[in-house]
Amino acid sequence: MDKRMSIDEVVDRIPSGGLIAIGGSSISRKPMALVRALARSDKRDLRIIVDVGGPDVDLLLGTGRVGEVIYAFVGFEVLGLAPHFRRARQSQTVRFQEWTEYTVMAGLDAAIKRVPFMPTHATLGTDVLRVNPSFKEIRDPFTEQPIVAVPALKPDVALIHVNYADIQGNGVILGDGHVDVLCAKAAKDTYMSCERLLSSEELQRFGRDVQILRVYSRGVVEAPWGAHPTGCAPDYRTDVRHLQDYLRASASEEGWHQYESEFVTVDHRQYLENHGGAEELVSRLKV
Amino acid sequence: MPIDPQLNVDEVIITTMARQLSGEMLVSSVTAFGSLAAHLAKRRYAPDLAVLSTPESGMDVTPMPTLTLGQFLTDVQQGIPLTMEDIFDAIFTDHFRIWINPSQIDQYGNTNITCIGDWYRPKVALVGARGIPEDTSHLSETFYYILNHSPRAVVARVDFKSGAGNGESRHGLDSHGAPSVLVTDLGVFDFTGPDGTMAVRSLHPGVTVEEVQQRTGFPVYVPGGEIPLTELPSPEDVRIIRDADPLEVRKLELMSGPEAAEKFVAIYERERQALHATYPRVGKFGR
Repeated sequence: MDKRMSIDEVVDRIPSGGLIAIGGSSISRKPMALVRALARSDKRDLRIIVDVGGPDVDLLLGTGRVGEVIYAFVGFEVLGLAPHFRRARQSQTVRFQEWTEYTVMAGLDAAIKRVPFMPTHATLGTDVLRVNPSFKEIRDPFTEQPIVAVPALKPDVALIHVNYADIQGNGVILGDGHVDVLCAKAAKDTYMSCERLLSSEELQRFGRDVQILRVYSRGVVEAPWGAHPTGCAPDYRTDVRHLQDYLRASASEEGWHQYESEFVTVDHRQYLENHGGAEELVSRLKV
Repeated sequence: MPIDPQLNVDEVIITTMARQLSGEMLVSSVTAFGSLAAHLAKRRYAPDLAVLSTPESGMDVTPMPTLTLGQFLTDVQQGIPLTMEDIFDAIFTDHFRIWINPSQIDQYGNTNITCIGDWYRPKVALVGARGIPEDTSHLSETFYYILNHSPRAVVARVDFKSGAGNGESRHGLDSHGAPSVLVTDLGVFDFTGPDGTMAVRSLHPGVTVEEVQQRTGFPVYVPGGEIPLTELPSPEDVRIIRDADPLEVRKLELMSGPEAAEKFVAIYERERQALHATYPRVGKFGR
């Protein structure tokens, strides 16, 4: 089946109020072309799941698309804190659930395995257990010892970005895998953007690096530089200069409006043009 | 800086961190200090360590502290690819070590990277507990470092327990995950005080107990007898650290303001060249 679609067709299929899992990790391989399209859409009250979030969550919060965030981490790593996340947390304008890296994975895994929860010792003794109403401390039925039940996370949609895909929806991930496979398997509908579409024959040469299996994907979008400004190893590194501009812009209302008009309310082609085009990006970011 | 000006504080801290590592363990590279400690340990003190190039992947590489190139390091050195499942399985089975740099640590070794103030109404929202709850419920050794020992960072009680320390936090947990060592710019501390509270193990040269008390948010337990001096780096330790970090990414963690911003840009502009100079392009994808 040919599953190619446009970025806008993906956004059309995302319901307001939907539970959306986003792959990647902080400033690495985030599906930013898809996220930007969602950020400029009129969707409301999206419920976002990220294991390790960064510019993805922050941008969606910045354009007011989000009702709730389930996260283990949201930040810009070496660049510092995520500005819109920080503001939203401090002003309590959005609901937040603090999870942890493994418990997000366990929640997705529970959804995949069609069980209601996964048990773990992680979060015992911490305040995560106190502030996260989704977790329940229960008794191990065999030993009566305390253990934490992590409920299944059942995303309506997963958004991921990969290096290569074929039109049937198989995807190759060459750098760190993060939690993309779990997101893809757990979600009802997985939409994947890729740096480049390859024939299925070419794709199968990547062997075990074919990590996203077509039975889990609903749509495929070819979007070169689709993770920018996050990195996509081994194709390109994180655009730290863009992220620094983002941080500066988000410090004032005026700056943010300017940023939105230049980099969010434009389509992906224009977005790349506004960076001086693909050649300019190659010279700055190819490794 | 209280340390002898002939010695660089970063090299003292990194060497001290390296000397805590032992055995055949995966060692994560999340920060420059953590990755250099792992590298130095493997070269000098714990040859069986399996050093990672990123927080989640690239086993058995020589780490190079970097802003954006961790995954590229995996590629050019053909590091063994790991998955997030591999990482958490190694944590749960106690085959993993990590140096955590918390925003706050308290007298019981509880740690905080989540927020300053109340979680529901934070004064400053930081990043979220990430994988610390997993570490503090499973690892038989947990390591922390703080570069600027102050009453704001080493506190009587953390504002939020992202990681479980000793005392009441051990409820439901066994000894795995309990805090082992804290290294700061003043000295080395463990948790052998009354009820598992923080105690002085050694002081860096020129540092007094009075200074430690002044710069700590609670009275630190001082065991009887003479307090040992922290063993200083040898010339060989210093050489290995400097060779492994030619761009001095480690210095960024000690800087702030315009000085840090300038250094940051300089590193970002030079790090691709440094990578290619050290490793020819023999990666898996032959680029």
